[in-house]
Amino acid sequence: MNFLEILQFIYNSLVFPGLLFASVIGLLYIGIDRKVTGHLQHRIGPPIWQEFLDFGKLMTKEDITPAAAIKPVFVGAPLLALGSLAAVMLLLPVASAQPSLRLTADIIVIIYLLNIPAISMILGGYSSGSPFAIAGAGRYIVQLLGYEFVFILSIATIAVKVGTLNLTDIISYQTANGWLLLDWKLLPAIVATLIAAQGKLLRAPFDIPEAETEIVAGPLTEYSGPKLAIWRTAYNVETIAVAALLVSLFLGGPTPYTFGNIQIPAIVDFLIKTFLIVMLTTVVRNIVARVRIDQALKFYWTFGVLLAVISMILVMVVP
Amino acid sequence: MVKILPKVLANLLRKPFTVKYPYEKVEPADGYRGKPSITKEKCIRCWQCIRACPDRAISIDKETKTPVIWLGRCTYCGECAEACPTKTIVMTKNFEFLDQYEK
Amino acid sequence: MTMVIPIGPQHPALKEPEYFRFEVKGEEIVDVDIYFGYAHRGIEETFARRNYKHNIYLSERICGICNICHSTCYSMAVERVAGIEPPERAKYVRSLILELERIHSHLLWLAVAAHQIGFDTLFMLAMRDREHVMDMREIISGGRVHSATNAIGGVRRDVTREQVPKLLENLDKVERSVNYYINLFQTDRTIRSRCEGVGVLTREDAIKLCAVGPVARASGVKTDIRVDDPYAAYPNLSFEVITETDGDVMAKGMVRLREMVESVKMVRQILKEMPNGPLRVPVDLKIPPNEAVQRVEAPRGELLYYIRSNGSEIPERVRVRTPTYASAPSLKPMFVGGTVAEIPIVLWSLDVCFACNDRVTLVDANTGKARVVTMEELRRWRS
Repeated sequence: MNFLEILQFIYNSLVFPGLLFASVIGLLYIGIDRKVTGHLQHRIGPPIWQEFLDFGKLMTKEDITPAAAIKPVFVGAPLLALGSLAAVMLLLPVASAQPSLRLTADIIVIIYLLNIPAISMILGGYSSGSPFAIAGAGRYIVQLLGYEFVFILSIATIAVKVGTLNLTDIISYQTANGWLLLDWKLLPAIVATLIAAQGKLLRAPFDIPEAETEIVAGPLTEYSGPKLAIWRTAYNVETIAVAALLVSLFLGGPTPYTFGNIQIPAIVDFLIKTFLIVMLTTVVRNIVARVRIDQALKFYWTFGVLLAVISMILVMVVP
Repeated sequence: MVKILPKVLANLLRKPFTVKYPYEKVEPADGYRGKPSITKEKCIRCWQCIRACPDRAISIDKETKTPVIWLGRCTYCGECAEACPTKTIVMTKNFEFLDQYEK
Repeated sequence: MTMVIPIGPQHPALKEPEYFRFEVKGEEIVDVDIYFGYAHRGIEETFARRNYKHNIYLSERICGICNICHSTCYSMAVERVAGIEPPERAKYVRSLILELERIHSHLLWLAVAAHQIGFDTLFMLAMRDREHVMDMREIISGGRVHSATNAIGGVRRDVTREQVPKLLENLDKVERSVNYYINLFQTDRTIRSRCEGVGVLTREDAIKLCAVGPVARASGVKTDIRVDDPYAAYPNLSFEVITETDGDVMAKGMVRLREMVESVKMVRQILKEMPNGPLRVPVDLKIPPNEAVQRVEAPRGELLYYIRSNGSEIPERVRVRTPTYASAPSLKPMFVGGTVAEIPIVLWSLDVCFACNDRVTLVDANTGKARVVTMEELRRWRS
């Protein structure tokens, strides 16, 4: 690895498509999400740059660590979450079908890295010493067991269909044979993926770990100031990362188009597709009530798993 | 879940219900009990308003010998306007005086 | 092993300060202790220091949501003490604003209940439709929240003929949305999964623990002061007492939602059948020694005022018993055996109003500690 490659890696992880790009787009998307939520609820809603204002405000606040908290874990958890998400962005195709970092079986690494924010949120909750945070962390573990199995199973279905665990190969398969979304055999698995993503992004009806009327803010109850700002950013980047993964899995990934003489770069395609996925979750979260944790687990382990398994059988049996 | 979806999506196309209040003025209904106004010339000094006020918010101005209302205590019930025989005190529609302080 | 989860005195599930101490085993609630008294304001003592007329406005301030019930009940209690009969038109105006208050209170209930189960869209929509009722109240009484309409011996303001078309127009909007919410509440799967079979109060418990209002009616107890002890214009109005049999949160919600439809019908009937005549009768506020009890069906249940006069312009004693206080004991069978996730919605299924509730706390002046008054002490004080 020469000096230029190292510089390239640092640029990729810190600026594009890593930390800076993902944070800016994530904050913007959640801002739009809040604005659209406002309009869906027949009100005006905040301006779309509201998340940036919140971030700036939280950064200037006093940094408090509660006396009851275990300090290294409490402080380290948000950084770990944000760091792992910046790493995920390196593995996802953003500007072209090629991700910045190529691995042989990168889907497994992506699934693993996408779990780190959830686990660090659980750790942060348990280390903060607040009963609400502990209750929220306990719920988060249960929910993790619920959605993660469905998520992995339906991604495995797609991997079986394409016959590879490499995201780039999946995208090139789609370039050759059309989007996987249009394959009727995979449709149940894709619905299951979207349901699992809803739980992964803690959006209603699966915002159970941070149910504000029950357990204040769940694991984040004791977080404030800059640490909360990092948590918010991590959450926003997670939204982008999950949306980007789904885009690559069954929406064909970022591809450049040509309309007449105008070249539309792949990054625009990426932004449009992820935006559509985020808006889908926004609409869903505005038409449902929060379910209880036992109902959520039951839902995932019956309905979600059923969809994924049906799809898996279809892919394996039907030629 | 499915039933609320068309309503919600229709809201997306409609103008928000929210009134952008400070930029868009709201006219209260007739008979709204806003800030009580006092016309000092009409006062006949019967002090019925002081007796009627449930909050003891009305006192006498020492110089002009007319009633003054301490708005910090006033609950805007309109009893003083009802008790006043000469309509010295009337309830106006003005409700935008929270940023001003008047004795 | 049980863990203690404190809900309150400050908690997002509570709209007012009150303390609930839950003992939980995992997510299951094993026991609950309810500590009242955080919103105590010394109102009953203040009642005994002001004259009858001024007290109307004090009674309105006991609770913001059901202020008309408080002032109506107080005024009617004073009228009963003084032996006055208010004019017929005044009775109709009172019924009108009381029913409007029921609609807006139940819409508020729906909104907050939706928020408690995480359905924020329904919260916003219900609050939006409540705005129409608030506008109607502003047209009739000149204030969106505090009506200041009641007076001893009648009402202060009339409903003019010019106001009626606007009122009916708003009423139509409200009726349409209420019918929609009934439909939505019954059919939406996520709402039903959160409300059905949760916080059940059996009929026996409801009778034994003296639940009142919609809470009792949802358990199948047919109790409604508007029928049992008619007041204002209710003897002349036709309406149905809504009851459900399940006793869970769903039943409590449906009782409230269907009551709104009845209220809309009643408002229409009142606007149509309102007799002409004077609005109030003159009253001598020097009321000879006497005592009286008056009950009103507030949106949350039975509201009770007891007044004792002593010949002066100032009442000797005013006692208020609010519906939340009467229904509070039934919280325990509703909570125990449920899960932590049910706490907010079960608590709110009672439509708790703590500002109404807290008027007596005993605080030791030397140590500053609040303590509970035993029944023995109360007996000793009374004699």
